[in-house]
Amino acid sequence: MPAAIETNKLTKSYKTKNRGTTNVVNNLDLHVEEGEIFGFLGPNGAGKTTTIKMLLNVITPTSGEAQILGKDVDDIEVHRLLSYLPEKPYYYEHMTGMEILKFYASLFGINDNEKCMRLLEKVNLAGDMNKTINQYSKGMQQRIGLAQSLLNDPKLLFLDEPTGGLDPIAHIEIRDLILQFRDEGKTVFISSHELSDVERICDRVAIINKGTIEKQGKLEDLLAGGRVEITADGVPQNVSDSIKLTDTIVSFKDGRIIVDMPDSADTNSVIDSIRTGKGTISSIIPRRKRLEDLFIETVRDANQVIKDKEDAK
Amino acid sequence: MRVIFSIAATTIGEAIRRRVLLVILLVGTLLLAIAPGLQVLSARQERTVLKSFMFGTMQLTSAAIAIILTVYLIPNEIDRRTIYTILCKPVRRWQFLVGKYVGAIGALGMMMALMTFISVILFYVMQRDAPVSELAGIGQVAVMYYVQMCILAAVSITLSTFVAPLVNFFLSGGLYLVGTLFTSVFETFEQNSKTPGLVKTIAHLVGSLLPNFSRFNIQNSAINSVQTIGSETRYYVESGVYGVMYIIATIIVGMLIFEKREV
Repeated sequence: MPAAIETNKLTKSYKTKNRGTTNVVNNLDLHVEEGEIFGFLGPNGAGKTTTIKMLLNVITPTSGEAQILGKDVDDIEVHRLLSYLPEKPYYYEHMTGMEILKFYASLFGINDNEKCMRLLEKVNLAGDMNKTINQYSKGMQQRIGLAQSLLNDPKLLFLDEPTGGLDPIAHIEIRDLILQFRDEGKTVFISSHELSDVERICDRVAIINKGTIEKQGKLEDLLAGGRVEITADGVPQNVSDSIKLTDTIVSFKDGRIIVDMPDSADTNSVIDSIRTGKGTISSIIPRRKRLEDLFIETVRDANQVIKDKEDAK
Repeated sequence: MRVIFSIAATTIGEAIRRRVLLVILLVGTLLLAIAPGLQVLSARQERTVLKSFMFGTMQLTSAAIAIILTVYLIPNEIDRRTIYTILCKPVRRWQFLVGKYVGAIGALGMMMALMTFISVILFYVMQRDAPVSELAGIGQVAVMYYVQMCILAAVSITLSTFVAPLVNFFLSGGLYLVGTLFTSVFETFEQNSKTPGLVKTIAHLVGSLLPNFSRFNIQNSAINSVQTIGSETRYYVESGVYGVMYIIATIIVGMLIFEKREV
């Protein structure tokens, strides 16, 4: 089975004012499996939207290749299998929700009012189908956007900041819809700054910074290697004093000790020390990294490497 | 074709709701409506002045609508990101451009039809003794203006694929003026035996490339019955063929540029 998205050294360069070139996207190797929710993360200007535009064939890569569902991105037939919801989309304001769906359906050669109705029901807009778009709230506009992106029953959906700027209720509704897409076997490619959402719903992620992929993989693998918190009671003071490991925080009060340490460190030796001191282990809680921490750490490290290289020049 | 017509229908829907176009149309129709004020002139003069006024208003208003409507058609779609939701469907870029153009000339046609209708009604009310042929003449002039505006819209939408709207506004307006007023200058250069060969070639080249809007200006023969067109049918057929060919050639250029454009 071909990958949903596969890119090979995908690069997009633009000429700069001083007649040089700048790589907005640099040798990008992406791999997205069918049926997964893939998070594409990066700070502003990292190259996320440029990558999506290349995958949608609205801009041409300077070099490299990209395939969607086993076909080249410039194959128009690929567009029958995918959908795109841009960030802050605009729909023709004079049209009603139903008319918008009929218009987009006609671009696929679909003339099926019942299907449009079903989709309006799916995104909870059936009751507002005769309102014009300028009467829709932001959340409703996002939902009509999702409805139009489902008209062709796509195998792959590109969602650019799907929950950006929405109120909490609309936010949850959109998030639930995305999870529903996965249950239906669709592949969802999400570009987002809402890291808590990404952490909650994505199977795999890639972090891009200044056009280069810095990390890519399963979320559980990327967030593993976090920390462990050991709590014990009845521990004497000398045991607490004896725990001297790097990157480890030891707090001790009234015989209760809490050790917050990297899970790569010698956890067993800490447990042995507590037991030797006749302490009782209350809990050992492995704590994985948060996506936010991973993201900040990755971007900060990548920027530092770039800065060091520039300084070396 | 279905894709093109869907895009065209949406474009018409949007165009006829654009306030700036409606304001221009309103100004145009108001100008036509004040035509009765011209009745202070003598009967013969009155008819001539009335027609001149109507045709002038119609031409200027239509040109303003044609340019303002088309310079923003493509850039607006890019700015508002609507183009992405359309081009990620099985829609080719040329279909999008042609759909936009067809929609633009459709909206333009509706607005010009309204102005023509008002002009004919006003002329009939004020000149009840005028023969039917004069009323038909207004229609003929309006049709020729429409072809002229279709060419202008094609030029303007093609320019919009690679220049900014403001620049396009002045470029299209400039081309319209040159194509309306100066085509006879190029012809004079070409036909004058004293013109050097190189100048003649350049005049021929420029004259052929620029849209010849003046060939659609038949208002003089409609205003003044002394001025007549030799063979009317032949003239209209030739002008029509010229208009259609020029539009097709211009739109093809626009399609080629838009195909390579990064949106």
